[in-house]
Formats: sequence, C-alpha cells, structure tokens
Amino acid sequence: MAWCESAAELSRARAEQPLVVPSPNGNLFGLYTPPAPEVPAAGLCVIWFTMPRSHRNRMWVEGARRLAARGFACFRFDYHGVGDSAGEPAEVEPNRPYRDDALAVIRHLRERFGERRFVLYGSCFDARTALSAFDGEADAIEGLFFMAAPVMEMDDLVRADADRKGWSHLLHALRRPDNWRSLRDPGRWKYMATVLGRIGGRTLNAEQRTPLPLSSGFRSHFDRLVRSRAHALFLYGREDREYESFREAERSLWPRLPAEARRRLTIEVWEGQVHDGILRVDRQREIVERVLAWIEALRARADSLPHAGAATASSPPGNDGARGTRGH
Amino acid sequence: MKPESETPRFFESGGRPLYGVYYAPRATRPGAPVVVHSHSLGIEQLTNYRNEVKLARAAAARGIPTLRYHARGHGDSAGDFAEVTLSTMVEDAMAAADHARRVSGSERVVWLGVRFGAIVAAHAVRRRDDTAAVALWEPVGRAKDYFRSQLRTMLLSQVAAGRRPDETVDGLLAAVGRDGRVDVHGYYLHRSLLDSACEEDSSLALAAWTGPTLLVQIQARRSLTPAHEALARGRGATLRTERITEEPGWHFVSNPPWQSQQLVDLTVEWLDGLV
Repeated sequence: MAWCESAAELSRARAEQPLVVPSPNGNLFGLYTPPAPEVPAAGLCVIWFTMPRSHRNRMWVEGARRLAARGFACFRFDYHGVGDSAGEPAEVEPNRPYRDDALAVIRHLRERFGERRFVLYGSCFDARTALSAFDGEADAIEGLFFMAAPVMEMDDLVRADADRKGWSHLLHALRRPDNWRSLRDPGRWKYMATVLGRIGGRTLNAEQRTPLPLSSGFRSHFDRLVRSRAHALFLYGREDREYESFREAERSLWPRLPAEARRRLTIEVWEGQVHDGILRVDRQREIVERVLAWIEALRARADSLPHAGAATASSPPGNDGARGTRGH
Repeated sequence: MKPESETPRFFESGGRPLYGVYYAPRATRPGAPVVVHSHSLGIEQLTNYRNEVKLARAAAARGIPTLRYHARGHGDSAGDFAEVTLSTMVEDAMAAADHARRVSGSERVVWLGVRFGAIVAAHAVRRRDDTAAVALWEPVGRAKDYFRSQLRTMLLSQVAAGRRPDETVDGLLAAVGRDGRVDVHGYYLHRSLLDSACEEDSSLALAAWTGPTLLVQIQARRSLTPAHEALARGRGATLRTERITEEPGWHFVSNPPWQSQQLVDLTVEWLDGLV
C-alpha cells in the first residue's frame, strides 16, 4: 500500500522548518520536522542520513512526518554537494563517510533546538556515515538503523562478492551480451579478472579461503558503537552484495562482543535484496515499516531512562537477540 | 550556498503546502523576469535536481531571480503521489508562478520545463499572459510515448539483470488500466496520471506560443528527434536549439549525481541574453 498522507502528517508538513547547517564543507540544507505538540514527546530526534534527502518515492519524507506525528523530532538533510546544499558533487565511497557533515548536523540540532538524544538511520554509504558519527557523538546517540552497507574496502567487497559465485555463474554471465558490451570499460576487465581469480583460486584450494579484512574505518567506528550505550539494528538482504562483506563482520566481531553489547546490536537478514530492494515499491514499504517500528520501539526504552546519558542494559528494541531472520 | 540569497519556503497550492527555494538576484536588473522551474515526474525530479540547483544559482548571480519548487506528491511538498495528475501539476505550476512574481516583484515569467515538466509548463503558458520565454530541457513530446518508454526501460533493465521480462509494454499498460497502477523502478505509474496526460503532446500544447524558446535535447544522438523537430517547427528566429550529447540515467540517481555544466552554462547565457 502506498503512503496516503493523514491529517496529522499534513499538519507536520505544515510545521516543517527549513534549516541551514554550517559545516566545514559549506552550508548544508535540511528540513526539521518538529514533534506534534498534541502527543507525548518521544524525547528523541531522528536524523535521516539519505541521499537525496527525500529518497526514492519520498520514503524518508514519509518517515519523518509519520514519526513526528507520533512525537519524534526529525531531520533530513542533503550532504555537501548534494541537493540544495553547497559544494560540488563527488563520487561517494562508503569507506570515506561524510563524518564532518554528520557531526555538524547533530551539533547544530542540539544548539538550535535543544535536541539531546538522537536516532540515526542510513543505508549503504549513509549507514557508514551515520556510524561514523559515533566517533565524536557516541554519548548522544540512542539508536542506529544500519542498512545494507559494505564494511570492507571496495576491492575486497568485489572479492567477497566473487566468493559466492561459481563456474556456472560465470558461464551464465558469459552468455549475456550486455556483459560483453561492458568490457569497453577498463574497470570491468579488472572486475572480471578478480571474479575469475577468486573462482579459480577456490577451485584449486577448496579449503583454503583466506578471510578478507574489514575496513579499518568500519572497525574503528564499530568499536565506538560497541562502547556506547546505543542500540543498533543491522539489516541486510541475503542476496545483497554488501551482505557478503558483512558476514565477515558477523564471523569475526560478533563472537567477541560482550554479552551486554550483543543484546544491543541486532542483526536481521531478509530473504532477497534490501540494498537494491528499494527499486520495488513492495520492498520499500517493508523497509519503511520496519525502520519506523524499530525507532518506535526505542521510545519505550528512552521513556524508561531517568535522564539522558545514563548507561543501561535494558531489553533491546525490535527482536531480542543477536540475530533474526525474516522471510519475504 | 549563501543563506541570505537562497530562501527555502513553503507556499500553498490546492490546500497543501508546496516546498520551494527562492533565489534572489545578486544585483538588480530592471525588468528581469523570474524563472520558474517545472520539474519532471517521480524519480526524474531527483535525477536532474543538481542541474536545476546550479542553474538557479547561476541565474541569480546574473541578476535573474528564480523559484524552484516541488509539485505536490514530490520531494518535500505535501500530498500523495497517487493523486498527482497533469491538472494538479499545472495548478501547482500556476501557484508557483504567482508566488515567484510576488516575492521577486517581477512582472514576467520564464518557464523552465524539464522532461514531463515541459508539458506542465506548456499548459501554464497557455493559461497566463505573463510568459516572457520558455526553456525546455529534453522535453517530452507525446506523453504516451514517454510512458511507454518508461515501461520499456524497466523491461530492458530486467533483461540486463539476466531475467526474462514477464510482461510486454502493452501488457503493463493493460495492467495499469486493470489494477490502477504498475511499479516502475520503485515508483507507481498510476492510472489517474496516465489517463490525465496520455493524449498530451508538448508541441501541440505550445503551438500558440510564439515567444523566445530554448530547446535543449539531451541525448547521445546528434540530430533532433522527431518529437523535438515537431516542437521546433515553424518557430523561426525565436527558437534556439542546443544538443547535449550525453545520455543521463533518468531513472537512477547516479554516483556522483548527474550534472552538466554545459547545460547550465548555455541556459544561463540564453537567459542573460533575454534580459
């Protein structure tokens, strides 16, 4: 079902305030949606890290207005070089997140509106940028919805992706004319060589697959998340190319987490795709509903806190354990 | 971005707030018209976003005020995408032009129509007597062809992903009629929109317009398409045609976002010449 704007959401649209956030990379533009005054305040400010700020089918315009109608403050903005913000566009790379933009936004919302406790949402590059905010603002972050982001350097991500392919995949790919046409791009030759090398190497040394490294940036920011009190949901699709890299994080990082952190950091894997799932309306709807439900669940925990800044080990929002799987 | 020269705002249309940004001119140019951008539909509003921002900034730097806005059901405006029709888009364009004149003090309007927004702008031109000029970026000719091309692109993307398409373009159009909508790359193509615009043709809608016109074709091909030829026909010296030989992915937000300095430069030069 597509989003049908309710009267309460229309009222939040009318209340939205355009905001210019000074940052080291120039002025960032965004829209602040104040919480509805007629409902109990959630005491949380949700920041949508998304590019562009409305995202496909206005997913996060809907997200902001629906949550604001339920008492959350919300903010969606454009990074530098994107949308209405200043600066020149550049190719974004998940391992080089826009941390300066993220910190500038959090600090501006604190200064301008008195927001103290934040929930961050991001997918892919945006998820890595949201995670990077723990380096500097960990104490202010109550929750992180981290969706379908690569957690390796991009060359390693290609290798990790190649590791789930076999000779039959390769033969199938060779039969597709668009793959031959794409060889005009020199980068495609490198990709093909990597895939061929990984499949061939695996055939020759079936039992000796060397684990691929997680990116140092991810490890560092993840470590700050672990040491914080924030809850996080890591959502992937089983068919996401990015999930292959995240599985390495599951294998190498999760077993070493203290029990308290493992209760806070939840993994959810859906059948099919999440990363590219936004190209289908039905999957968009599932993502929007899951994100909003998870953030709503954080509220119960926030309500139970005597004051911001208090550490807690209470029950996590959403499902209650290290890992969940949903079939779709 | 200078906060004092770019003012985000909301204004009313059809009982709902529409989001817009007004770009005040950096210097006063007496008699300068205000430029109003009429964006394209759905995802195409996003894929061309930065070009419109850059044009608005460049025009303001030359003393030409601009208003960019999001039609209802688009971007940061209110309203449901399911309720968007050609007539609601034209209503929003008219409200935007009125607002632009009010804030700028300009007496005349230059329309920038992008893709489907060209049809919207053409209808607004027909209803108003304050149009100074019309700029068209890769304008849609016949709306029916535009919708068919969207569906064809979606089916081709399935082929590129190694899947056999389970429908034809005609089958998908029949599904829109039957089910009320079809998912095209994560946006519904709704029957109400299709029905409202299917018989539209920008060359017919602009047939009575005889003022200055800029037509920019943005395609890999070097000659004008038949649809653009039809738009250009009979306009003589009032028409300037330009070709940007790029093939942007209109249905996917690229990384980095697509922008064409050539497109911005030639449009702002043309605007400058008008004033």
